[in-house]
Amino acid sequence: MKEREPLADSFRQSRKEFLCMIGIWAFFAVWTMTCNSILAPLREGEEVPLLFGMPEWVVWGVALPWVLALSVTIWFALRFMKDTELEEEKS
Amino acid sequence: MTALLSFGLYMIGVFVLAIVANRAGRKKAFVSEYFLGSKSIGLWAFAFTYAATSASGGSFMGFPSLIYTHGWVLAWWIAGYMVVPIIALGLLAKRINQVGRIAGAITIPELFRRRFESRRVGNLATLLVVFFMFFFLMAQFKAGAQIMATLFEGAPVFESAVVGIEKITAELPWIGAAEGDYLLCLLVFAVSVIAYTTFGGFRAVVWTDVMQGVVMGLGVIIMLVLTLAQVGGLGNATRKLGEMTPPQEVRVHVILDEPATELFRVPKGEWIRLGEDGLVRLRSSFTMVPYQRETEWIDAFRITTQAEIEQILQSGEVREGMKATLFGDPKPYAYGDGLKGVYLTAPGPSATSATGFLGVMLALSFFSFWTFSGAGQPSYMVRQMAFRDTLTLRRSIVMVAVYFSLIYFPLVIIFTCARVLLPGMEVHPDRVMPEMAALLTSNAGVPWLAGLLIAAPFAAVMSSVDSFLLLVSSGVVRDVYQESINPKASEKQVKRLSYLVTTVVGILGVLAVMHPPQFLQHLIVFAAAGLGACFLMPMIFALYWPRSTSRGIMAGMLAGGITVLVLYLVGFLFTKQFGEYLLLGVHPFLWAVLFSSLAILIGSLTDEPIPEPLKERYFGASSPTAQR
Repeated sequence: MKEREPLADSFRQSRKEFLCMIGIWAFFAVWTMTCNSILAPLREGEEVPLLFGMPEWVVWGVALPWVLALSVTIWFALRFMKDTELEEEKS
Repeated sequence: MTALLSFGLYMIGVFVLAIVANRAGRKKAFVSEYFLGSKSIGLWAFAFTYAATSASGGSFMGFPSLIYTHGWVLAWWIAGYMVVPIIALGLLAKRINQVGRIAGAITIPELFRRRFESRRVGNLATLLVVFFMFFFLMAQFKAGAQIMATLFEGAPVFESAVVGIEKITAELPWIGAAEGDYLLCLLVFAVSVIAYTTFGGFRAVVWTDVMQGVVMGLGVIIMLVLTLAQVGGLGNATRKLGEMTPPQEVRVHVILDEPATELFRVPKGEWIRLGEDGLVRLRSSFTMVPYQRETEWIDAFRITTQAEIEQILQSGEVREGMKATLFGDPKPYAYGDGLKGVYLTAPGPSATSATGFLGVMLALSFFSFWTFSGAGQPSYMVRQMAFRDTLTLRRSIVMVAVYFSLIYFPLVIIFTCARVLLPGMEVHPDRVMPEMAALLTSNAGVPWLAGLLIAAPFAAVMSSVDSFLLLVSSGVVRDVYQESINPKASEKQVKRLSYLVTTVVGILGVLAVMHPPQFLQHLIVFAAAGLGACFLMPMIFALYWPRSTSRGIMAGMLAGGITVLVLYLVGFLFTKQFGEYLLLGVHPFLWAVLFSSLAILIGSLTDEPIPEPLKERYFGASSPTAQR
């Protein structure tokens, strides 16, 4: 049987994870918005460059951050998040 | 016929799971089991029930129609899904589950009520859940009926049944005005979902979600492979898309080569030549009577890309024996008319907005909207109360992240290619997914596979409807009846009432959706924004801010909900269509989050703090929960 610590600790840990998640969201929001604002707009008369069969802006502004976000999510869930003991159900 | 058979097998699977789930839960306490699966949901079930509920008719019907209509810019529109699993599942889940267990809560309104020991906050939450969730139900019912209509179209038994139901309902007010095929499918779909949800409860919903999640994932992957093979590779499709320009809305007279000799009907969606080298697709049906040669004006879309016109002419789909002539001036797209490359870039073509479909501010709004409104949906929150332990949660986040990546980005690829394979779908934008499934499997010589592919969006719709039904009925049974009307109700009484309410809510949803708005996605975004606006910030403050009070939380719920309602009302007044008003280019959901937060802060700080024992119970060191 593992030794129990006060709820306040689990609350603080949850809050820490909460703030970290907001930071991750902000990072990918800034990347996607900045990159796509610059690369995605239609330039009349110019051909749209393609990469891997997609418009190039989609690769840099959506696909690449998506792959990275998936990696960060896996790291966060399996490494950074801590387990918390939950009470038995009260009904 | 083979497609119908494979689809039928899928439906049998759903009902078998519901029966098994009902038996599995018989020996457990009814309310906790029926509405929350006794809080014992494991990894696969939790991950798939979350993913399947999240990927609703919007993802598989509304989203494809938007990709088809606006092109690659939808990759930006949906980009927020890259962080949805970590935010929507991670942000609140651990604390919701913890607080829910301490409180002994089974529903979200109950969690609020016990957290603040205030009946008023619980009642307000119930009211808001039922109100906004009803719009979700409407959207999902419409999606389910449309998928069925596509699947059954042309089957002799179905056509006879449609004629029969049109005769029966012709004189009925409200119902009689609905199209027969839609009405029949709506009834069949609704009866199926209501039956297995009512019978099996939460556990059946979760188990069928797992099966539906697998079907959805497989469906998308198979569609992706078939699509890329049939368009000759993604690069080829994207280059063709780059040459396309949006269609024009027109009104036409249709003139027959010879006067009609008998009464006949030309359905919506028929292709007709326009002059010598043009082509239109009808947006409504018309009927010709004997000796008639020319119609009144009819709404249609005029195709503007030469390559598309040639493709359709070669396909032999054009109706012979008649031609169309323009009536009045064409109405071009407000943004994108005649612009090559508009389907590959931002802001994307728009029929109504001169600034295009997706500006930067709106893109940012949606990036925030998908992630945070996802976290604020009561249907997801209630699942977060049901997982067994936090290890299940952590692994589920990973599974959902992988799953969403395999679904959402491939959908963008599939439906940008759909413009190349399936021109003119602007007449039935919400039917592009099932039409595409039928086309891909027919071209590949495996029509039986259409049943499975169509089962994918159908599964998405079913898995959402069942969850929403249960959420609304739990609000009525647990939060209204058990809490306020009959706290001493026996298990038998509660059981009967739960079955009854689930059925009645389903029937009301069907009646409300006889005449739904054209775009599914509008309804879904409205309902998601409304629920997120009402519950996201109140839940965050309730879980993470010990100083929050019931007055503050109620103010936050009302401020969020009212902001969304007002901005949609203003949107309706400006455009006369169901849609939001983007104040300063920002989606109503973000304004709602801002006003909701302010209301909670002001409401709580001007109120007496909650009693110390209550604060201690949920935040302090005396609770029996701990870190591992």
